[in-house]
Amino acid sequence: MRDVAIVGVGTTQFGRAQWSLLKMMCEASHDAITDARIGDREIDGIFVANMGAGRNNKTLGIASALVDRMNLYPTPAEAIENGPASGASAVKTGYMAVASGMCDLVLVCGGERMREVNNLEATECVSYISHRYAEYVYGVTLPALAGMFARLYMQKYGVTQEHLAMVAIKNHDHGFVNRKAHIRERVTMEGLLHGPDVANNNPYVADPLRFYDCCPVSDGASAVLLAPASMAGDFAKRPVRIAGVGQATDCQAVHERPDPTELPAVRIAAQKAFQMAGLTPADIDVCELHDAFTILEIAESEECGFFPKGEGHKALERGETRLGGKLPISPSGGLKARGHPVGNTGVSQIVELVLQLRGEAGPYQVPSAKRGFAVNFGGFGNNVVATVLSEGV
Amino acid sequence: MIDELEAMLRPPKLEMIPYPPKSVVLANGETMVIRQASTDEVDTMLKIIQPVTWLERDFYDIVSARVFSELLGWKKYRVRNAYCLVGTIDGVLAGIVNGRLFDERYGISYHTLALRRGLRVGSHLFAAKMEYHIEYLKQEEVWIVAESPIGHRRWMIEYPLRPKYEIQHELGGAPSWTLTRETYFAAKPRLVTGTRPVSAELLATSYPIKEPDLQTFLVQIEDTMEARL
Amino acid sequence: MAKTVDAARCKSCGKLMYPIHFYCLACKGREFEPVPIEGDGTLLTWTRSYALPLDYAQLFLTLGIIQMDQGIRVTGQLDIADPKTGMRVRAHVGKVRETMGKDIHGLIFQPVRG
Repeated sequence: MRDVAIVGVGTTQFGRAQWSLLKMMCEASHDAITDARIGDREIDGIFVANMGAGRNNKTLGIASALVDRMNLYPTPAEAIENGPASGASAVKTGYMAVASGMCDLVLVCGGERMREVNNLEATECVSYISHRYAEYVYGVTLPALAGMFARLYMQKYGVTQEHLAMVAIKNHDHGFVNRKAHIRERVTMEGLLHGPDVANNNPYVADPLRFYDCCPVSDGASAVLLAPASMAGDFAKRPVRIAGVGQATDCQAVHERPDPTELPAVRIAAQKAFQMAGLTPADIDVCELHDAFTILEIAESEECGFFPKGEGHKALERGETRLGGKLPISPSGGLKARGHPVGNTGVSQIVELVLQLRGEAGPYQVPSAKRGFAVNFGGFGNNVVATVLSEGV
Repeated sequence: MIDELEAMLRPPKLEMIPYPPKSVVLANGETMVIRQASTDEVDTMLKIIQPVTWLERDFYDIVSARVFSELLGWKKYRVRNAYCLVGTIDGVLAGIVNGRLFDERYGISYHTLALRRGLRVGSHLFAAKMEYHIEYLKQEEVWIVAESPIGHRRWMIEYPLRPKYEIQHELGGAPSWTLTRETYFAAKPRLVTGTRPVSAELLATSYPIKEPDLQTFLVQIEDTMEARL
Repeated sequence: MAKTVDAARCKSCGKLMYPIHFYCLACKGREFEPVPIEGDGTLLTWTRSYALPLDYAQLFLTLGIIQMDQGIRVTGQLDIADPKTGMRVRAHVGKVRETMGKDIHGLIFQPVRG
C-alpha cells in the first residue's frame, strides 16, 4: 500500500446557495485543481460525497453528472452515500484507490444543497437516517435522537445547559473569523440562556437541546485532490499525508445499544485511525469534530480519547478546546458555525485540517499545527469515520 | 383646518393607548428596543425599505411593497386606526410590524418585516404586536394571514392559531386565521418576552431611526452565499 | 385482528430482539416467531421534539426510549404530559403517523397509575 498525500483543496462558502448543487461542486473541484496546479496531469478517479440529492435535488447518479458538467469524461467516477459521514467515506475510498495503486490522481468532491427544498422537507429527508420501522414511523428526527441522548448524557456526567452553550459560543467565535462560514454571528450566554429573552432567542428543538445546540441547514461543496506521497512534490503546495483512517459501525436503532450514552463506533474508528497512523490522541494539535449538536462535540472529544469519559465538558470549561487552548476543537467554527452541508461535511473537515497543517488557516490558524484529527459521524453514531492527517511526507 | 372633502376621506379614529416600549436581549448579546413609531418617521422607513421591494427572495418584494403602501397610507390618513411598532438595535432599524384595529374587539395584523436576519427579530416583533392588540388595546382577537406559507405554518402551529375562514383578510381576501385572547395568554410565557421599563437613556438611542448600511443590509436580506462573495 | 408491534423470538435459542435482524443476535439462527410488544416498562430517556418532519402539524411530539419488562427496549411516542426518567409506563398500539392518507400504527406509552 502506498502512502497517500492531499495535494489540493477547495471549498465554497457555506450557507444558502442560489447556485445549483452541481455548480457548487464544480467550483470547489476547480478550486482544488487550481490549488494543486495539476498542469497536464489527468485525474484518473473521482469519488463524490452526497446524501440527499436524490430526494432534494432531483439528481441520481450524481458522480456522472459532475463528470459531465466538468467535462472530465471518460474518467471513472461514483458517489458514496453514508449519511452525514458520506464526506469522510468518500475521502477514505479515494485514499484506497491511490494507496492500492489503482489511481494516481483522485478528486474527491462533496456537495449538498439541502435548501433547494423547504425546512420541513429537509428535516424529513434527514430523518430517513433513523431506523424505518423502529424509529422513523414515530416521527423521530435526528434532533429527537440527539435530545434523548443529551438527556441521558447530562444526567450521567453532570453536563449542564451552560456547557452546551459554551460549545456554541466557542464555535461561533471561531466561525466569526472564517470568511467561508455559514454563520458569522457571535452569541453570548446572556442571549442564549441567562437573559430575559431566551424563550424567543433559543427555544427548545428537542429538549434539553435548544435552537443554538443544533447546527444550521447549510448548502456547500468542498473538494480534495489525492496523489501518492511519492509524487506529492510535483504539485504546488506543501503536501499533507493521510496518516490513518478508521471506520466502525453500530446498531442503527439508538434504543438497541447496550448503553445509549456510549458511542462505540466513534471510539473504535478513532482507535483504528490512531493505530494505523502510529500515533495517539496526545500527538494531535488540532481537531475538527462533528458538532451537529453541541452535546456531540463533548461526547466525541471523550470517545476519541482526548479526555477521559465525563471530563470533556470540564476541559471545555477550562478553555482548553478553544483556539489558543491546549487542544483547539473546530477552529473553523465546526458544523455549528462553519455549517453542515450534510453529505459534504466530512470533505470540508479534511480541507480545514489541511489548511491548518499547511499554515494557511489565517485568522483561525492553530500555531505550528503538525497533526490533525477529524471525526465524521454518520447516522446517529452508527457509522463513523475517523481520519488522522500529518504534515509533510 | 381641514376642508370638508379631506375630512370625508379621513377614516374615524378610535382611542388607542400607546405601546409601552420594551427591550429584548438578542442571542448575540445586543439589545433591541421595541417601540411604537409615529407618522413622522414614515419617510425614513420608506426610504429604508424601498430597495427591498425588488428582492424576490423569501417574499421580501411583496411584503416590503405592501408595508410601504401601508405606512404611506397611514401617514396620509387613509387607513383606519393603524399602528406601527419598530425594533431598533443601536438606533438602526432591525424590523417593522404593523396592523390596525377593525373595531374595539377585533384587530387585523398586517405585516412583519425583519431587516436584520439570524437573530429571530421577526419572532420578537410578531409577539410584541400580539401583545399590543391583546394586552394594551384589550382586544379579543387578532386576524392574521401571511404571504409565506412556511412562515404562516410556523405561527399557525406555534400559538396555535384557529381558522376563521368566514372572514376575508383585507390583504387580498384570503381566509383569515385568528389569535384569541385565551390562546395568547396560554402562549405568553413561551412566546412573549422583553423587559420594561426602558430607561430614558436606552430609549433615546432608538431616536431617530437610522438606516442600515445599504450594502450590508441587502446582503443580509439576500442571505445567499453568492451575495457574500 | 388487533394491530401489534412485534419483536422476534429466535426458534432455536429463544432470544428476543427488536428491531428485527436477519440473524439471531445470539445464535445466528434464521427462524423466528413474532412476539407482540406489550405490557409495562421503565422510561429510560425522553424528549419533546419541536422540529417535526412531514405528516405532523402539532407543536411538539413527546418521544421516549423504554426498557420493557419483556426484556427488549423500544422507541415510542409518549402520551405523558410530564415525563420523568425512571417512571413506569404502559404500552398500547395506536396511530403514530399518517402518511399520504395511510395510518401507521406503533407503540404509544402512558403512565402506569398507582
